[in-house]
Amino acid sequence: MGNFGLLFEGFGVALTSYHIMIMVVGVLLGLVVGVLPGLGAPNGVSLLLPLTFTMDPVSAIILLTSMYWGALFGGSTTSILFNIPGEPSSVATTFDGYPMAKQGEAVRALTLAFCSAGIGALTGVLVITLLSGWVANFALRFGAAEYFAVYFLAFSSFIGMSTGSPFKTLVSMMLGFACATIGADTISGESRLTFDFEELIGGISFLIAVIGLFGLGELLTTMEENLEFHGVKAKLDIRTILRTMAELPRYWASILRSAAVGIWMGITPGGPTAASFMSYALGRRFSKNGANFGKGAPEGVISPETADHSAGSCALLPMLALGIPGSATAAVMMGGLMIWGLAPGPMLFTQRPDFVWGLIASMYVGNVIAVILVLATVPLFAFILRAPFRIMGPMITMVCIIGAYTVASHTFDIWLALVFGLVGYVFKKLDYPLAPFVLAMVLGHNAEDSFRQAMLTSGGSASIFWSNGLVATMMFLGVFFLLLPLISLVLRRAGINFRSRAIEKEAEAGSV
Amino acid sequence: MEISRRTGEIGAAIVTALLGIIVCYGSTENGIQWDSSGPQPGYFPFYIGCLIIFGSVATIIQTLLRRRDGEEPFVDAERLRNVVFFFLPIIAFAAISIWLGLYIGIFIYIFFTMWIPGKMKLHNALLTAIIVVAVNYILFEVLFTVPLLKGPILNALGIY
Repeated sequence: MGNFGLLFEGFGVALTSYHIMIMVVGVLLGLVVGVLPGLGAPNGVSLLLPLTFTMDPVSAIILLTSMYWGALFGGSTTSILFNIPGEPSSVATTFDGYPMAKQGEAVRALTLAFCSAGIGALTGVLVITLLSGWVANFALRFGAAEYFAVYFLAFSSFIGMSTGSPFKTLVSMMLGFACATIGADTISGESRLTFDFEELIGGISFLIAVIGLFGLGELLTTMEENLEFHGVKAKLDIRTILRTMAELPRYWASILRSAAVGIWMGITPGGPTAASFMSYALGRRFSKNGANFGKGAPEGVISPETADHSAGSCALLPMLALGIPGSATAAVMMGGLMIWGLAPGPMLFTQRPDFVWGLIASMYVGNVIAVILVLATVPLFAFILRAPFRIMGPMITMVCIIGAYTVASHTFDIWLALVFGLVGYVFKKLDYPLAPFVLAMVLGHNAEDSFRQAMLTSGGSASIFWSNGLVATMMFLGVFFLLLPLISLVLRRAGINFRSRAIEKEAEAGSV
Repeated sequence: MEISRRTGEIGAAIVTALLGIIVCYGSTENGIQWDSSGPQPGYFPFYIGCLIIFGSVATIIQTLLRRRDGEEPFVDAERLRNVVFFFLPIIAFAAISIWLGLYIGIFIYIFFTMWIPGKMKLHNALLTAIIVVAVNYILFEVLFTVPLLKGPILNALGIY
């Protein structure tokens, strides 16, 4: 049976009234999370995760992924109407979305953003449908050494593709690994790095880290700015929406290019944020309308939105097929899978096809629901955002603190979340990337175990990492990525500058 | 009080370097050598610690080499005040919640933040706090059946 036959069965799982209701609830929660600054997709999924422990895994993952779609969509609403990105990945949407809204074209900008985002997401899901079975089959041949090579490749590509200082990426990632090490060692059972603190023997949950780093840290940075929302009013009328939709085919080139960028950045751990900036930069360079970018060009909204969403959905492909998440949110979801007792990776496809294909089918349905709901709720969220942040801030803080407690009902976790909040605040201000930290925390055990297992099979000889073509190629690519910052430095000294201006712009935006 | 970007960078890097040293020291307790069965439990974390120290030192060097004109400060007095006055009540919230239970913590925190920094009228702040506690109670205890920490006072009142 081909992928499409399996997908058809998946629709049977996804299209029950219960699951559709879950999708609607998930998308709505996601929209709230995406719209409010301080609550992002990774943090929102972390807060919801403890509440799904008692649910059936299929329903639980549908709820969490729907929330993810909602959050991705919700971030664009605030970018366009308020010039405040609700999500880091929708920063690039503010460049042209807000100018469009100020020129009285708010509805057109919103419709363009949501529809191109929907197209991007569906392209991403189509790629997952076509490739995931194949990637999983390929990965069935992997041994411990190959897995370590894949992890090595994933982590070194973070360093190679980081837009800021590679050293900061390294520090952030390694601190994540160190946090993952705390607690009982999975192979020997010895407790490590606990320094005889009883609370640390069980280890630190990555959920606490995400709630602190992304939630409380973000709140502190937002509070510091003393944020006020000055929104553009948008009156939705169906005719403008339909007229804008009819306009979409005109931008097919932008959409195709952006979707391709998004797919690539989603599968490799570049993530949605990097994808949207890269797509915006490429759009400015190659689009016929490039000179108008930044002044309210429709392509300037379409490019980042399409890429953001295709990357967001494609980030789930390596998570499902290889057990390596392509974004921080995917990492949190993968942690959830492990908590529900499912091992992400190729075996999941043979053991739980109903789970995998039900999930993939729900992605199609969920994204369509998200496009409709996000358009319908624009007036509601525009109203909510008129509440001053001095009221919203404490409410969001409360949700984070409760969330930290519900992870494991440990009061110590509340203190940990506060500490991670301060770390997140300082890291954000100094441009340390947070995604590598979370990824390292989720994958730390697996990476270390595969390394040690590979060493056990080879009898302690590191030569196993270049024993066959596959593993050697991956290790070589990994080393290449590690050296990439150095190579680009040398090239820049020689006068060749291939890092585009948009990436520098991203670094600026990241520090806001 | 204003902290320059340079001070912030170096301060943060020193803290991460110290963390790296702690990680290295802690892993020596598990053995960082190779034995007959491969690497000992402390082997992997030891090199993680080394890489943290390496990255931190490189960041310090990078900061010292960079030109410092025209840099935004890490934080200025007003921003620092905003952050501190937002964070102190959160610490109090955490402490009260752990001591007396989450519901009481939430009530006090929401009431205070709505009333003083939120500039609500006293009775509105009180009402908001009551509604927020009620919504949380229904959400967690009834709908999701995930019990939150009740603490000694609610226990004495017969709510577990």
